[in-house]
Amino acid sequence: MIKVYLKMFIRSFFLQALWNFERMQNIGFIYILKPFLDKVYLDDKSKQEALMRHAGYFNTHPYMANLLIAIVASLEKDKSENKEDTINISSIKNQMAGPLAAIGDSLFFGTLRPLVACFSILIMLLFMKFLDQNFQKYAIFVPIIFIITYNIFHIASRAWLMFIGFKFNRDSLSIISSVKILMPIIKYIGFFISTVALFVYLLIFKSSPISSLFFGSKENDLAIYIIVFLFSIIFNRFGVVFLIYSVIIICSLISYLRI
Amino acid sequence: MTDSIFFYALVGAFCSMDITFFGQFMICRPIFCAPIVGYFMGDINTGLWIGMIVELHWINAIPMGVIVPVDVSLISILSTFWACRYFIGMQEAAVFALVLAVPFAYFYRDMDISGRNFNIKIMHFIENGIKNQKYLRMYAGIYFGFFLFTARLFLFYLFAMYVGGIIYSGLYLQLSQFIILGLRNAWYLLPVVGFALVIKEFNIFRKLFCKEL
Repeated sequence: MIKVYLKMFIRSFFLQALWNFERMQNIGFIYILKPFLDKVYLDDKSKQEALMRHAGYFNTHPYMANLLIAIVASLEKDKSENKEDTINISSIKNQMAGPLAAIGDSLFFGTLRPLVACFSILIMLLFMKFLDQNFQKYAIFVPIIFIITYNIFHIASRAWLMFIGFKFNRDSLSIISSVKILMPIIKYIGFFISTVALFVYLLIFKSSPISSLFFGSKENDLAIYIIVFLFSIIFNRFGVVFLIYSVIIICSLISYLRI
Repeated sequence: MTDSIFFYALVGAFCSMDITFFGQFMICRPIFCAPIVGYFMGDINTGLWIGMIVELHWINAIPMGVIVPVDVSLISILSTFWACRYFIGMQEAAVFALVLAVPFAYFYRDMDISGRNFNIKIMHFIENGIKNQKYLRMYAGIYFGFFLFTARLFLFYLFAMYVGGIIYSGLYLQLSQFIILGLRNAWYLLPVVGFALVIKEFNIFRKLFCKEL
């Protein structure tokens, strides 16, 4: 059975392989579940029915899906031993997908990934500031640090979610809900790291050719902090592309007025 | 290290595949893929800086539900490639590459949506296979989907790197002095706005000062 679990775990990286607007991750879900169904349903008819049961709409966070896959697999095993009914499996799957997606999006894509990205940017800025001439030599470590740090959490989370899904079945939801406590802590760490990164960035900014762009060099830091503070509050009013083009147009206008 | 457009199109396709098709290991993130392209092109500094700007600005780009976000790896890889190939080491040229890469990414997003619509046909092909107990169709469908996805990305990167490169270098040489100076200023100011977006993402200021917004 370990071989089947391992197969399912590797296949879970292909959950979104045939992502489509009609039923989203349904093919990926079947693809992951198939080795398990091959094992528990020995007759073709029951196996086909089980596969068709999961061919419907399915969408959740790709990492959190591992938990749901493990729970559904356990329920399918019970079904093959006539301990569980079909309606129950489908309703549990549909009810859990939404909340798990919400937790996964905010925990992994909304908090952990920005945190690791900020950490890598901080490392890059520190290298830039303190290594100076040797920066080129060590710069390659920045993307490597990002990818290794993120994937330590990512792969461990996927494996852990699948493990608790199989071990605790439906009770694993209470374990997952306790993970929410971590989110504000990660957010505060993220805030701290991004503030430190901004501080180091300003040290680099001071030695740049445009260090006295705003009102002269003394008030420059203050101006930058005000920009950051204001933008962090009013950002929801503007799109990213609008902001990028606006900054470039404003910079060009300043240059035009100076020339 | 190498100058082959085919190599970079392949690297780009491989990185962009990570967004949906395989893994979500985040090799698609600008802070990873832009420096890697910069490293191969011999200017990792430009790659890192572009990667930082794009990462900070699109830090919350999440494929949520039916939303197909703009492909940030495409923006960072294209701009790093153009900047390093045509005007290596020039900060203003790198910002101009970024300006030009954004519309390409939006154009690719429309292609991606068409591709995801085509997946519906493959999905029905697999479903009919399951109904008739032809389970091999599942593997055939996934491999075919993989081929289409990779080919679409690879060809788009090839087109954007070659045609976009000609447009980019041609346009850049026509820019007036004040725009070039403006682009150089933007090289240093764009990360500042980026940091503001990141701080907003961690939602601290809004919680402290601006609950009503």
